[in-house]
Amino acid sequence: MADRALELVMDCGQAMLANGGEVFRAQDTMEIMARNLGITDFQVYVLTNGIFASAKGGTINAVRHVPSFSTNLGRVEAINAISRKVADGELDLSGAECELHRALDTPVFSNRTEHLASLMGSGCFAFLFGGGPAEMLVSCLAGALESIIVKRFAHHHMSRIFTDILAALSCTMLAHIAHRFYAPLNVNVSIIGALMVLTPGVSLTMAIRDIINADYLSGTIRLFDALLVAGCLAAGVSLGYLLMQGIMGVIA
Amino acid sequence: MTAAEMPVWFSLLAQFVLAMIATMSFGIAFQVPRRHHLACGLVGAVGWIVYVLCNTCLGLTAPVSTLLAVLPLTALSRLFAITHRAPVTLFLLCGIFPLVPGAGIYYTAYYFIRNDQRLCTNKGVETIKIAVAIALGIAVVCSIPLPRSISRQQYRGPKEPESPQK
Repeated sequence: MADRALELVMDCGQAMLANGGEVFRAQDTMEIMARNLGITDFQVYVLTNGIFASAKGGTINAVRHVPSFSTNLGRVEAINAISRKVADGELDLSGAECELHRALDTPVFSNRTEHLASLMGSGCFAFLFGGGPAEMLVSCLAGALESIIVKRFAHHHMSRIFTDILAALSCTMLAHIAHRFYAPLNVNVSIIGALMVLTPGVSLTMAIRDIINADYLSGTIRLFDALLVAGCLAAGVSLGYLLMQGIMGVIA
Repeated sequence: MTAAEMPVWFSLLAQFVLAMIATMSFGIAFQVPRRHHLACGLVGAVGWIVYVLCNTCLGLTAPVSTLLAVLPLTALSRLFAITHRAPVTLFLLCGIFPLVPGAGIYYTAYYFIRNDQRLCTNKGVETIKIAVAIALGIAVVCSIPLPRSISRQQYRGPKEPESPQK
């Protein structure tokens, strides 16, 4: 493809989708940039996992596939800022290319920080759902374990479904084992605290926002994703419960 | 000591702070830039406190409380989106997490395994209701159009260009 401007616009849209931007935001960003970079007859159709565009009376076409996304809102914000600057005329084509590279190269929080965040979040949720110090502690451990499982599996390109089931299963089993050693522990609260970190909040919110903006197809894809994750968590909890029941006999 | 054993005002304060920390940890997990962390935390904490007040003090059901909590939460995210000049998603995605029905998902599975059909359906339907309440709340608040002067101001971009090492 010869057109540098179109290439840049497509890169921005792809980066937006891959980092958790909504469909309409990607579409808006691309249209604004195309208009200000002088691409004529720009037509674009964005889906949750793909971008189709054509320009200059259909003589130039581009298709991008965005198979999976991980939520990185810092990049979404950075790309949004680029499109604004382009619209204000502060950035030209090469300036915008440079900014995009910089946005995609920004350091992310390390894995350890993310494990720590998951640990902290799980503990707090255990308290919010009525737990005391013991439940919070177990939740913290389960949350860190989940985070490690999710990261490890993503690193080895394991399927999301399997990852979610296993993460929910391991946190259930951890809580039940802890209950073995410390009988007053409220198992339900500790598991819920750790489970909150895995809930499909992102997919649900994005689905709603897509559907409000009349992107029904993209919204349905996200909604289905949310349902699937919720089902996986339920399956993981059930499996963990059954396993512990099998190992330890009747449990709380 | 659990939240139920504390004096009411102290319990609410503790819940506010912990909901804030929980939301901020999602901010970290989603790689939100540091300057937005406090705003993210506030959005989540306000949502949770409104939910708790509606649910325990006013005695409303969980779906109704969720709906009432999502309204100020989404409004606050939009406000922060304007003042911080950042996409509204940044605050909304993190702030919504305390309200997502994780407990509902858990109890549905729990009663399913314990062969308690009645409670399992109850919890399952309640989980779906809560999800719908969240959807409705976000849809209502996000559909309110902003006056043109504000949306144009928002469009103008971040106040100062951020230094790259931040």
